[in-house]
Amino acid sequence: MSDTGGQLRQALRLRSAQISLVIITVVVFLGFAGGLLAPHDPLAQDTAHALSGPSGEHWLGTDYLGRDVLSRLMDATGRSVVGALEGVAVAFVIGVPAGLASIFFGRFFDWAAQRIVDAIMTMPYIIFAVSVTGVLGNGLTQAMLAIGIFLAPLLFRITRAAALTLTRAQYVEVAELLGASRWWIIRRHVWSKVLPTVAVTTAQLAAAVLLVVSSLTFLGIGVKPPAPTWGGMLSSDLGFLSQQPWAPILPALAIALTAGALNAIADAIRDTTGLPSAPAGGGLLSRRAKLDAEPGPGLGLGPGGSARTPAMAIPAQASAQSSGQSSGQEESSHG
Amino acid sequence: MTTLEIGRPTAPAPTPTQPSAGRGAGVRWGAVGRPVLRVVRSAVVVWIPVVLLSTFITFGLGALTDTNPAAQVLGETATPADIDRMNHYFGLDRPFLVQYFSWLGHALTGDFGRSYYTTLPVSDSITQALPVNVSITIVALLLGILFGGALGVGAALSGGGWFDRGVTVLCSAASTVPPFVIGIGIGIGIGLIVLFSVTLPVLPSGGYVPIDQDFGQWLRFAILPALALSVDVAVAIARQLRTSLVGELRENYVVGAEVRGLTRRRVVFGHALRNASGPAVTVLGYYVPQVIGAMVVAEAVFNLPGLGKLSLDAAAKGDIPVIQGVLVTMIGLVVLSNLLVNAALLRLTPHAKRREQ
Repeated sequence: MSDTGGQLRQALRLRSAQISLVIITVVVFLGFAGGLLAPHDPLAQDTAHALSGPSGEHWLGTDYLGRDVLSRLMDATGRSVVGALEGVAVAFVIGVPAGLASIFFGRFFDWAAQRIVDAIMTMPYIIFAVSVTGVLGNGLTQAMLAIGIFLAPLLFRITRAAALTLTRAQYVEVAELLGASRWWIIRRHVWSKVLPTVAVTTAQLAAAVLLVVSSLTFLGIGVKPPAPTWGGMLSSDLGFLSQQPWAPILPALAIALTAGALNAIADAIRDTTGLPSAPAGGGLLSRRAKLDAEPGPGLGLGPGGSARTPAMAIPAQASAQSSGQSSGQEESSHG
Repeated sequence: MTTLEIGRPTAPAPTPTQPSAGRGAGVRWGAVGRPVLRVVRSAVVVWIPVVLLSTFITFGLGALTDTNPAAQVLGETATPADIDRMNHYFGLDRPFLVQYFSWLGHALTGDFGRSYYTTLPVSDSITQALPVNVSITIVALLLGILFGGALGVGAALSGGGWFDRGVTVLCSAASTVPPFVIGIGIGIGIGLIVLFSVTLPVLPSGGYVPIDQDFGQWLRFAILPALALSVDVAVAIARQLRTSLVGELRENYVVGAEVRGLTRRRVVFGHALRNASGPAVTVLGYYVPQVIGAMVVAEAVFNLPGLGKLSLDAAAKGDIPVIQGVLVTMIGLVVLSNLLVNAALLRLTPHAKRREQ
């Protein structure tokens, strides 16, 4: 019985992956063309029909200025998607190379990176993003730069953990013995193995960043008022709860559906690539909790107490070995 | 055996850590003192660079952008002499590094300078806003521990029963949303407002009364934001506590205690829970900074005059001293909460102390 239950769940998960893919395709499509396809001008006000319910003319009703909610939702998609992509891109560009480097480029780099990551991960990043926009000017790009920096540690840790297991793999040792350079090993042997894990985390991160973008736009960060954003619509709906208590559901649904779809895709990638699935519900949290949940006193300050010992020992060894060899090889290739 | 216990232990669940902590207090403090010092030291080592780095970045970005705050503050009608006067007043005519280090030196003594706009001391605005954040964050964490502890212990004790399954389903549903208290905070916050202020008008949808002015009123305003912020914490704690308590209840000493005739309540709350609560406290430690950050958004949802609002208003105007002051205060809050959690963890799990030595 549990067997059929498991199969059923797996099938369901695949179905959910299909649905998620459709949702994401629609969101990306709307992100590019939403403003053009919108049935009404998302900025056109019609105060005579303010706060009207759904009708043939306005499928999802109108907001407090009589603007068409459906059109605004469609037009807002692009801003949220671009903002989320920017944040993920920054986190990716910083986190993944640093994670690989912490394994393959020696002990000091690893130590320094770990300390920085520990500290950043517990920082209230929203307030940092607010500060950055306060200094650099109110724009989503500025805010997402700050957010990307603060989310990079997640990718750093995942990449590092995934690459760490590979340093012990025999084919990596063999490659080292055969005199392969560090770059070669990373490109040839490590990257393709790390990629699925990184992809899963990136998808989860995209979902998370989407929520962050929504919270920031909710706060009024990164957007000029008349232009609609999901978070901004949520925030303005808040003022008219007594007239239209259901109104916030629409932008919230848009955010939740997209984030949920990204998470489901992440789960599907994980399942199909046979990565070890996180226990009970999965998701970013459980994996991170597992990393952090070593009951040591340095918690939150010095994570992964037990995991660090092999990490420190092996790359030191590996780099000591390979640095001698690879320098010889590089010389020969230069000459 | 376990089925008889369903639901019963849920009520006193969150208290058990207190008696065990209190009983051993006198004996253990001496032994714990040194590790606590070590925790403090490592916190200082980790956090001083962060404070330096983040303030330097925000300070440096301002210098890089080459916008003149004085010109921005004084507006179009300002004469060059006015701008020079303001630059001189705020020390903006000095080299960047001199500005930064003099600000840092003053910040160490609690003086964050003056606002560009109001010329009021930044520390005054912060001392006004800080209690809002601290009090509501504490209520949120307490609620999270209360609900999470009750759910987690209840689920573990019902071991596979309907309550356990319900809690597990609830937790995994909540955890499919990425661990950002903020998103959930907004969603649930709005839901709570609709429920308690619009359809069932018993609680105010927003606003604030200081706690020392009128406790009852403060509670009325604080309860909804605290509830919204507590959900994620509760889910995380329930999940962690259930897992570790189920594992703990399988240990030999639990069987031994039962064989010796100790009541189940005594075994669970006197022995197993303390050992099982380490990971939950760890998770709590991870969530404290999250809640502090999410409070910024909750302030906007519930219209609270806290640090987030201060920072947002300052950011909209480019009032850099206020922005810096709030940033440093927030970092300080996080450092402090981290220290507290780590100290609590040391008290709770003495074996962690051994491991560090």
